[in-house]
Amino acid sequence: MSKSNLTNNIRKLRFENGQITQQQLADKVGVTRQTIIATEAGKYAPSLPLAFKIAQTFAVPIEQVFQYQDDDPQVSASDTNA
Amino acid sequence: MVITFSLGLFLGIILIVMLLFDVDIPKIAFLFPVIIAGSGGIISITCFKKDRGPVKFDERDKLIEKNAHLAGFGAVYLYVILMSFLPIGILGEEASIPVTWCPALLIGAGFFQVYAQSLAILIQYGLGGKNVEK
Repeated sequence: MSKSNLTNNIRKLRFENGQITQQQLADKVGVTRQTIIATEAGKYAPSLPLAFKIAQTFAVPIEQVFQYQDDDPQVSASDTNA
Repeated sequence: MVITFSLGLFLGIILIVMLLFDVDIPKIAFLFPVIIAGSGGIISITCFKKDRGPVKFDERDKLIEKNAHLAGFGAVYLYVILMSFLPIGILGEEASIPVTWCPALLIGAGFFQVYAQSLAILIQYGLGGKNVEK
């Protein structure tokens, strides 16, 4: 899985939810600030539990925080058909 | 740590090359690369120690550590291959090496492992330096 295919709205959501800092978000989800920085920048793909924790912190579904686009057109087509 | 290690390694290589070309070097000069390389750990602990917040270690650190261990293992593997064939290439098939080289090779393997591991950690952490908020 290419990291660049995974995009996120963490920065936007942080500002929409009382302008919480990266450190505050890190403390809430139980990771280091560096992990939030790397995730926000799209340089680190978080684990599923961490992704869910981040979504729960913002009280939004996970799809609203993380988006994944597959380069393989066959996979994308089957996703659309399903 | 990697920077001082690299500097120590570089100076060590220069000294060994100078020795091969019969340049008269005092034996104490070989201590300098060792001191420079060794100072890396002390400098990194005293000068670059950061307050990382309440969480000290998480899943990303675990992944970086795992990758670093793999890099270290790979480096030792490469080192063993090189050390198995280099003496034949340099000294020739009929040559012999003293048995005291064996412990030195072990120390070399340990050094390579630590070096590759530190380098892998530096590269992986170093790539995520942007988008930092104060």
